[in-house]
Amino acid sequence: MNPNPSQTPTSEPVRFLGCSGQTLAFLSLRLWLGLRALVTGLEKFAAKVNIQEPLLDAQGQPDPSGAVVEIEKKVYGLSHYHAVPESLQTKFAGEPLLPGIFTGPFYAALGPILILLGLLLLAGICTRLSLVGMALLYTMLTFGLMLIGQDQGVSWLAIHIALVALSLSWVEHNRFTLTRS
Amino acid sequence: MNSAQPGSHASSPLTRRDFLGYSTGAALTLATTPSLFSITPPDGAKPLRLALVGFGAQGRVLAEAIVKVPGIQVVALCDIWDYAREYGRRFFKSNGTETNGYRDLEELLAKEKDLDAAIVATPDVFHAPHTIACLQAGLHVYCEKMMSNTVEGARSMVQAMKTTGRLLQIGHQRRSNPRYLVARNRLLLEARITGRLTAAHAQWNRAVSEDLGWPKKAAIPDDVLKHYGFPDMHTFRNWRWFKKFGGGPLSDLGAHQIDILSWFFDRLPSTVIASGGSDYYKNHEWFDNAMVIYEYPLPEGTARAFYQVQTTTSSGGGYFEQFMGTEGTLKISENPNLTVIYREASAPSWEEWVRKNYLRVNAAPAPDPDAKVDARETAALATYKLPVVTNKAIHQYHLENFFQSIRGKATLNCPSDEAFRSEYPIFKAIEAVETRQLVQIQEPSV
Repeated sequence: MNPNPSQTPTSEPVRFLGCSGQTLAFLSLRLWLGLRALVTGLEKFAAKVNIQEPLLDAQGQPDPSGAVVEIEKKVYGLSHYHAVPESLQTKFAGEPLLPGIFTGPFYAALGPILILLGLLLLAGICTRLSLVGMALLYTMLTFGLMLIGQDQGVSWLAIHIALVALSLSWVEHNRFTLTRS
Repeated sequence: MNSAQPGSHASSPLTRRDFLGYSTGAALTLATTPSLFSITPPDGAKPLRLALVGFGAQGRVLAEAIVKVPGIQVVALCDIWDYAREYGRRFFKSNGTETNGYRDLEELLAKEKDLDAAIVATPDVFHAPHTIACLQAGLHVYCEKMMSNTVEGARSMVQAMKTTGRLLQIGHQRRSNPRYLVARNRLLLEARITGRLTAAHAQWNRAVSEDLGWPKKAAIPDDVLKHYGFPDMHTFRNWRWFKKFGGGPLSDLGAHQIDILSWFFDRLPSTVIASGGSDYYKNHEWFDNAMVIYEYPLPEGTARAFYQVQTTTSSGGGYFEQFMGTEGTLKISENPNLTVIYREASAPSWEEWVRKNYLRVNAAPAPDPDAKVDARETAALATYKLPVVTNKAIHQYHLENFFQSIRGKATLNCPSDEAFRSEYPIFKAIEAVETRQLVQIQEPSV
């Protein structure tokens, strides 16, 4: 019942799971950025390796020829860690503004930091700080690409930065978090 | 009698006069000296005791493969060249086996009484007499291809195999190679990826090379050479180029590949035309290049196969056998890098064969559309790999098949009767080169 029939009723915004549109928008961005960082970080520990297995016949038994086939499989492991493609590392190494004293630790930390930032965002831990950290990380990557003239990569990362900036502007609408910040 | 005793590696005086007829020459030997180290087969069976007859280039290739097979002991080595025998003795000693050295086969067979098998890798002309002598001595034999430099010689080997009841494997080693077995049995026969086969192309192109030399101090004395039928040391070292001893490039190189044509087509050709000649090397009897065209009467229609062997250029893609059909092409070589499978754009899906690991999609670069010069050009072929890997020396599989057959655990992949049938078209190709006429090919009688 309307307690004051003389006034025009105010239209309540439609909510989903009790969330406003801004909250849903922010959560969408948080989910996307979190997954993006997490998967990108994990993929830095991935490699395609050739595994040898017996060729099997229709009954699943080893082929009479004794043939062994080489099958390409994707695996994950610490030993497969690669921060950036070798071709990029070579180009970065030739840049005077990117001395090895900086790039070495950066390469070592890039994968783990991406995974950490992805997990923090997905879990809602220190969300604001995580977004700031993500913005810094993507900016550092962009800086390197700017130096070697990789304009396509710069544009690609610019989209990421824009999404992070949009998230920071809506961070007040954050919900479903493990920590309050 | 040869004065060399088992275990003696010194050059022995040549007193034998009756060696195996035409050949005595080459070298054979087997010895019974127990090996210093017991090489026990994995299943605990008794090691097989072998004689290696002929320790030239091919003998060494086989020796390299043999020493990698558990349960095999080369206890006797035969070669007319002291230098090769000593090299062989040291080779096997470094691999843990003492071998007895012999200059000729007859003595070896007389003294070595505990042998299971012989590996014959002498010049082609000696294959028949040496193989037959070993078979008649009760040994199983692995003999290098070509079986002989004459049809009659090859036929006599088949007859000896049948009369003695011993095993005779011919060294067409591709027949035991898992890559070739999968290509034939899985891709061609089961998956029929080529569709209707209409053509084949095989070749072996080699660059120009110098004739083989020898350390002058190690030259075989003239009287020894002549005793074994060689006019001089140059002929001994380069016997493949002389008609008395070998069959020329169509035999040396072509034998492997023409064998694959007949094996994959599963029949003999009906006709052959050919051209070849000695146009480059002036001191060789056999032609240095040859081009051959066979016709294979397949159930669905004739398929033509072009074979070329070049010993004056390595250009043109090296060595391979290529089977071309309406839906795809299988190009295979002992060199995995030269093996590739092509799929025609109109062919049915090959997804099933990729899933079964018969094929692997090749990450080939996309074709450049601007490179097309004629609107009627067929769409570019998709390429696939044969994912079978071979982790052993290429001859090892065939030798293992021989050894397993001796133990009753396998059947020969290339028994002499089948090899004779397959080699027969090579003799006919040589005939076509020499007569410059189309030659009809009938099923050979044994």
